[in-house]
Amino acid sequence: MMNCKTFALAATAVTLACSAAADTSDKRIALSNNYAGNSWRQAMLTSWETVTGPAVSEGIVAAADAFTTAENQATEQAAQIQNMILEGYDAIVLNAASPTALNGAVKEACDAGIVVVSFDGIVTEPCAYRIAVDFKEMGRKQVEYLAGRMPDGGNLLEIRGLAGVFVDDEIHAGITAGVAEFPQFTIAGSVNGDWAQDVAQRAVAGVLPSLPEIVGVVTQGGDGYGAAQAIAAAGRPTPVIVMGNRQDELKWWGEQRDANGYETMSLSIAPGVSTLAFWVAQQVLDGASVPQDLTVPFLEITQDGLDEGLASTPEGGVANVEYSLEDAKAVIAGAN
Amino acid sequence: MKTLLARPWIWAWVAAALAFALTAAISQNQGAWGLAVAALTFSAFSVIVGLGQMFVITLGPGNVDLSIPATMTLAGTVSLKVMDGGAGAEVTGLAIALAIGAGVGLTNYLLILLIRIPPIIATLAASFLYQSLAIWSNRGLRVKPPESLAEFAVGRSLGLPNLALLALVLSVLAWVALNRAAYGRQISAIGQNPRAARLSGLPVEAVRLATYMLCAVLAGLCGFLLSCFSGGAALNMGQEYLLASIAVVVIGGSSIGGGRSNVPGIWAGALFLFLIVSMLNSYGLGAGVRLLMTGLIIIAIVAVGSRGPRGT
Repeated sequence: MMNCKTFALAATAVTLACSAAADTSDKRIALSNNYAGNSWRQAMLTSWETVTGPAVSEGIVAAADAFTTAENQATEQAAQIQNMILEGYDAIVLNAASPTALNGAVKEACDAGIVVVSFDGIVTEPCAYRIAVDFKEMGRKQVEYLAGRMPDGGNLLEIRGLAGVFVDDEIHAGITAGVAEFPQFTIAGSVNGDWAQDVAQRAVAGVLPSLPEIVGVVTQGGDGYGAAQAIAAAGRPTPVIVMGNRQDELKWWGEQRDANGYETMSLSIAPGVSTLAFWVAQQVLDGASVPQDLTVPFLEITQDGLDEGLASTPEGGVANVEYSLEDAKAVIAGAN
Repeated sequence: MKTLLARPWIWAWVAAALAFALTAAISQNQGAWGLAVAALTFSAFSVIVGLGQMFVITLGPGNVDLSIPATMTLAGTVSLKVMDGGAGAEVTGLAIALAIGAGVGLTNYLLILLIRIPPIIATLAASFLYQSLAIWSNRGLRVKPPESLAEFAVGRSLGLPNLALLALVLSVLAWVALNRAAYGRQISAIGQNPRAARLSGLPVEAVRLATYMLCAVLAGLCGFLLSCFSGGAALNMGQEYLLASIAVVVIGGSSIGGGRSNVPGIWAGALFLFLIVSMLNSYGLGAGVRLLMTGLIIIAIVAVGSRGPRGT
């Protein structure tokens, strides 16, 4: 798991680093975000405020404003980026509605001398920096874990995300690759849970009657608790459901563990990846040599780390890690 | 038999029964009953918002409430936050959810009346306001419902899901209001010809106000129940019910142009929407094919349903 430094420590380090360079104190950074309507995105925005607020008040950068589009549309976000170009921001940190549809606007920003750092929802435009999550590995790893737990294999239920979204295709491809690697498993059923507990609950309840015995459920995050509820309501034995770091999922897992020794794993991206993107943008503005493509590890909670994960996750929220400037430098150094 | 075939909702029931039979055919033992219970449970949510939407749509062309998802989210978020998972606050929570619905309905109506924006724009624009309030009130943190409400929401009475029974009671009340009460005659008259209704002395604006409030109160109730059912309110919890609320009305054989609605069709539409997804999932079809087929089948039902003779 990633290290969770307290911000106070990181801030001291930052102040020291800045007295040396301090080239970014007049720079303004904007966050262009395409969606705010779920708990993961809310945690992402909260992390952004938590980390950039002190960075601004300490004069590391002049501004770090967050903007979210209302409709989750690429066209709307492209217009938003064009506004940011006109407003003269020095860097744009971007969680994109589409990997390709914003390329035109991103190119315009680059041509205007603006640093663009995309994360989570990355863009393919070569001039932008990408902080990507290995979503394929996120899918494959779930099957690998299940293979470790159940060497004999069996039937799996796959809960996918929102149809047509890049992340859904990537995680699905990883799960498919995992099943090819561990052929003792079969995907017996697949439903779209749209990363929402109530949608997953509804979809799983509808498909369960036609499914054979299920030994495991592979998920994409935000759907594990709903699946557990639907399976319990149908009176079926609880399979190994891979969780997605939501607090209600972790809490349910803890209750099951205490009641009957239930074991599983949980993995997702930490919403605080927005703060890593912030520091990477600051580093690029500072003149640091940063590779165009960075990879951020996903946040994994194991059986042993469950209590720690539960304790550090806010009630009703998502397990999170916020990044300091030092963490960002380490990520950059690791990729160079 | 002939009169039954003339009912506008018959084709939706046929389609729902077919989808059930085809899914149950490949179900494991006991699967058909499990499928029926699941279908009734999840349809209850679509029925509750569908009834409200039906009354609004009956008011005539252009009348539709697009703020249902945001209203559900706001009512669910605030009421669960107030109850904070504890016992003893259940009634307060429900009252808050219904009051939020009433407030939303009043706001929607005032926007339509005072600023003279078409309902479709007014309710859509206002929904951003409600959604923002929901975000602001709790920043998307999921608060657990009180144990008693969670148990009620997933529980059964007389072998049937509590939520389905509740939706059934609401449906009977809605049927009475639509077919046996002055209110139903009034909204139908307004939907068929608002000018004639006004000239004949009907309290058109009062009826419209009541209708938008009724719809939003039902949406608030649905958000409250869905939050209790699925272990907490989420910011994106109502999304599915925007199209679903309109689809169940149209599939059920009510006229999208207003003036002619029916309650049995709402149930058929809700059951069909759940069962068609279950059926296509059970046969292992991917999301693309599933969405395509759902769309085609809905068009087919509406086309067949609207061709048949209508009792007036």
